Amino acid sequence: MRVFPLYRHIGVISLLSLLVFPTGNAAFADSLEKLKKDAAQIQSIQASFIQSKHMKILAKPLLSEGVFYYQAPDSFRWEYLKPLKSIVLNHKGRTKRYIYSGGKMVEDKSGGVQTMKIVLDEITAWMKGRFDSNPSFQATFQEGTDIQITLTPVDKSMSGMIEKIVISLAKKEAAVKTVKIIESASDYTQIDFKNVITNRDIPETVFVEVQ
Amino acid sequence: MPPVKTPSVLTENLSCPHPFLREKTSFVHAIEVHAAGKIRSAVIGVTVADPLARSLSCAIVTAEGMVLFEAEEMGGLLNVRRAMPPFDAEDFAGSMLADIKLLFFAPEGTIHKRGVLPDGKFVCRWKELEGDWVDVFGDCNEVIQIKRYSPCGSLKRHVIYDNLAGIYFQSIVLHAKETPTYSLYMTLIEAQSVRN
Repeated sequence: MRVFPLYRHIGVISLLSLLVFPTGNAAFADSLEKLKKDAAQIQSIQASFIQSKHMKILAKPLLSEGVFYYQAPDSFRWEYLKPLKSIVLNHKGRTKRYIYSGGKMVEDKSGGVQTMKIVLDEITAWMKGRFDSNPSFQATFQEGTDIQITLTPVDKSMSGMIEKIVISLAKKEAAVKTVKIIESASDYTQIDFKNVITNRDIPETVFVEVQ
Repeated sequence: MPPVKTPSVLTENLSCPHPFLREKTSFVHAIEVHAAGKIRSAVIGVTVADPLARSLSCAIVTAEGMVLFEAEEMGGLLNVRRAMPPFDAEDFAGSMLADIKLLFFAPEGTIHKRGVLPDGKFVCRWKELEGDWVDVFGDCNEVIQIKRYSPCGSLKRHVIYDNLAGIYFQSIVLHAKETPTYSLYMTLIEAQSVRN
């Protein structure tokens, strides 16, 4: 199976949100070991997000809204509510992607689903705090008013697609604020998270049913 | 290609339907791509089109925000800035921009004939510089259609503009009749005029 790098990068967006939330409850970790320890405490996450896409040809950013859910060990729902509805579900080893068509969600049977499984393998690793184990990125930490984790691709196949990824975390609240995927000087995607809830029971149907 | 009959007294003074842009405009559409009667993908299309300069910039973006394709055409020169598989196919960019020009720019040519189609719809038939024929016709429900034919009269594209709100159509459907056949179902997310 040929795996286009593209899908790996799409998944990075999801990956990053999952990466940062496990850091959430104590004074923020300043080391990988601390992050790993915090990550081990997280059993579930739910949050909403606003994604703004900035492009040179766009007079104003394209805004998308969505929600996501995670339940340990590997259940996952990443859903866009508008303007373009789509859902990725992962549960008990099965991954499905749905897109909106004709007034309902229909399964996306393109190759993207299979490649998402590879992404989810990475997600699992990151959920366990092993976000430094991805050889495609070099991670650096910077502590100021906020904490920033900067991921720089080392894989040349990403050149021209992702320049770097910056994750900003509020120091006091110890919660993620934004994830910024920078493609070029003028093009980037920023995801702002809100309403983050950890370790609250999530019905299994969330990871199975599209509606 | 159907014959165009001489307009009746009722239609001879009608002006040609004009679903095309009159000023530089930026669009964002939700686009469903169908092939062989089934949905293949859903993406966001970004278009900036200037009808006076006949210049275009466009991008295809996933819901996740990844740019799959980005290109511009200015002064007749096509510049592909980014093209991920399968949008990196050799003739994809040119074909896509040709479709966008069909949607938003008046045909490059002259009106060859004004008249009535066999079903009674008033039509303006354009003869494009490159030889294609373009029929632009409407009805009383503000639905406008375009059919592009090859120089020998075989149908190549069929476009349906519907649900006009203000000066922008909320729905545009394009059916490509050439192999491989495909259809684009475009729903307007936002539109705004662009001042240079």
